[in-house]
Amino acid sequence: MANPEDKKGYTFAPYSGRVEAGKIRELALALGDDNPIYTDEAKAKEEGLDAIPIQPTFMEVIDMWYGSSFEDLMEQLDIDMKKLLHGEQEYEYFAPVYAGDMIYAETKVTDVKTKRNGMAFYTLETIYRNQNNEKVMAARMMLVKTP
Amino acid sequence: MEPYLLANRDVQVGTELPPLEKPPITRMQLIKFAGASGDFNPIHTVESVAQEAALGGVIAHGMLIMGFAGQALATWVPRASIKKFGVRFSAITRPGDQITVRGQLTAKEETDEGTFIKIKLQAVDQKGEVKVKGMCEALLPRA
Repeated sequence: MANPEDKKGYTFAPYSGRVEAGKIRELALALGDDNPIYTDEAKAKEEGLDAIPIQPTFMEVIDMWYGSSFEDLMEQLDIDMKKLLHGEQEYEYFAPVYAGDMIYAETKVTDVKTKRNGMAFYTLETIYRNQNNEKVMAARMMLVKTP
Repeated sequence: MEPYLLANRDVQVGTELPPLEKPPITRMQLIKFAGASGDFNPIHTVESVAQEAALGGVIAHGMLIMGFAGQALATWVPRASIKKFGVRFSAITRPGDQITVRGQLTAKEETDEGTFIKIKLQAVDQKGEVKVKGMCEALLPRA
């Protein structure tokens, strides 16, 4: 079997998609988040925002709806979905993202650590740029492969 | 509503922030979240698949719980002030679980660009089991 650490440095195909106000609203409804800034542009502007902002965790929507399917990602990493755990998730915010923005994303495996018991820890980093080629966000996800 | 740490500028390091109490998670919510997020892993929505995976039934998306934490954050600090937000997933959440997101101010420092703060946060269920542990860094605008 291939060594999981061989995947270090692996880069996935880039993907892009538009931030839609309807998807921000749908996420707000699914979370049960009644903060009006996510659904009402006037309320967002009262908080000093230029337009409807995205939720702190919204980039998952771009990843899942515009990136490779999760099954495909796992196949590229040789991970059996049944042995996979989402260990950690982190976002960094460099510039605001609003409804209507285009997002261009690229994901790379930045680290893989294996343990003697057969566990493997993958760190995937995604950089998100907008239509002005401005780096707006970064995400780091730690996936755990159990033996 | 004005975020708590803007309305209460004098909050000291160590202070607990107002918790966010969510209603019990429902199966319908997991279906809605699958559609909203695009995460259609069937262990979150299809009972027979979750049983086959030996999970004892469908489990909530970890990102749903992180989303609750994100909801709490935007009640404490302005959305635009959030600079970093990270969590570690520590336990499985199931339909019926009632999540409370707690936060504590752990750092506060005046800088040229504003008030830099750190928040430690936790999402716990009705039994006190910790589902998610995390942190947030934010830069509050000057008063």
